[in-house]
Amino acid sequence: MLQIIIQGLLLSGLYALIAVGFTLIFSVGRVLNLAYGAYLMIGGYAFFFFSQQLGLPILLGVILAGVLGCLAGLLKYRLLVIPLKGDHVAIEISTLILAVVIQAGIVLLFGDSPKVLLPIVPGVTQIAGASVTFNILTATLVSWAILISLYLFIKKTHLGRAMQAVSMDKKGAAISGVNPDHINMLTWGISGTLGAVAGVFFASYTQLSPSMWVAPLIIAVAVVIVGGIGSIIGTLIVAHIIGFMEVIAVAEIAPELRGVFTMLLIIAVLIIRPQGLFGREEIQ
Amino acid sequence: MAFLSIENLNAFYGKAQALHDVSLSCEKGEIIAVIGANGAGKSTLLDSIMGLTKTTGTISFDGTPLNGGPAAAVERGIGYGPERFNLFPYMSVYDNLMVGAFTARNDIEKNLAAVFRLFPRLEERQAQETSTQSGGERQMVSLGRALMTSPRLLIVDEPTIGLAPKVCTEIAAALRRLRDDMGLTILITEQNANFAMTLAERLYVLEAGAVRATGTVDELRDDPRLLEAYFGH
Repeated sequence: MLQIIIQGLLLSGLYALIAVGFTLIFSVGRVLNLAYGAYLMIGGYAFFFFSQQLGLPILLGVILAGVLGCLAGLLKYRLLVIPLKGDHVAIEISTLILAVVIQAGIVLLFGDSPKVLLPIVPGVTQIAGASVTFNILTATLVSWAILISLYLFIKKTHLGRAMQAVSMDKKGAAISGVNPDHINMLTWGISGTLGAVAGVFFASYTQLSPSMWVAPLIIAVAVVIVGGIGSIIGTLIVAHIIGFMEVIAVAEIAPELRGVFTMLLIIAVLIIRPQGLFGREEIQ
Repeated sequence: MAFLSIENLNAFYGKAQALHDVSLSCEKGEIIAVIGANGAGKSTLLDSIMGLTKTTGTISFDGTPLNGGPAAAVERGIGYGPERFNLFPYMSVYDNLMVGAFTARNDIEKNLAAVFRLFPRLEERQAQETSTQSGGERQMVSLGRALMTSPRLLIVDEPTIGLAPKVCTEIAAALRRLRDDMGLTILITEQNANFAMTLAERLYVLEAGAVRATGTVDELRDDPRLLEAYFGH
């Protein structure tokens, strides 16, 4: 039981980090960025290249992965979202196509065979009788540190308030002196950074492969649908619900059913509470 | 040149023209009102000043053309209280006001104190989400947010729409204080001609997107064009 709680907490922290960048774009830009999983792939492979192939220090590898993710987010906004402004269906289809293109690029650069990312922090420890790798422990602690920092940034800074303002009323934000385009650009940059950093930890938890963008995208979509938009706390809670459901399914029922309960939860929420468990209906 | 000068302004929503050759001027320290019925183009006029609509013609503020969009208009010193308030419903009163301070961060303490002096109720309820507030309170937050931008010109779209008479009186008193005590220039739009006449020194009558009459309150009080603009006879 204790092992399930510990594993659940650890996995959920990672899922929250994976989902929060996706939630941010959906809340502020109202765009379902289906290429979000590609940020994780870029982050994972960038870290692999810089730290494992070039031998750069681990922290520098994580930073460079984050920078590349940020650039990917900014470029995507500038080259794809701005030209297609207002056409959400076209943006969503284009982001999905972009993810496939990035996957092809990764295959070209690194080959299509899966690669094992060495643990960021090697070693194993015992917590209340449960074996926990330092790698997943670090991933969880970093996830929490990033999520708390992001929460404080959004709630307590002028830029964070401006992001909330744009997500709630674009005209209201504009007449307050906030440029919604600048805020959207910033949000895409932050989302790319968060996705890439999450990708480093996700890859070190699983493995690197050119199709690794699909599973995190499903997790992120699930968190947004179940949690509803516009709430970091909601994202955290739902990431924990999904994380614990997966750990319980694997440990107590059957490992093959790992993602099934998440899918069932999505369908149930769509039927019973379409705005999500923590989402708020928009006021016009 | 007038503090705010609008010349031959035309505004468009796609192919539909909402304003036709509107010219208007406002001197520093004046309160002027644009009155007209629903659909006359009042909101479009204020949106155009903020750079929110597609326009032709010229809008100059303090001697320089305004043409950089809403963020530039705010930076130049124009505060806007829109008709539907456009507040951030799930943010507190305080956070709504702080968004208004986005470009005027050096003046936050001074402006916040002025807002709370003007509307003490906002200070008492600064932690409340605006989605749970009454129409009158939201109007106060909307005006407060505009004041947090450190404006020199305040434009307010139908400040009394949907509000109880007592709240209308409060809003009128607040607008007058903003001009008298803080030296703001104020441009309002109104359907309520009586309210506009008690507050403004000069009026513009807007009908079907064009200015039909202009003059002081005394000049226009019994002007048949005022009745015509409202009742079409």
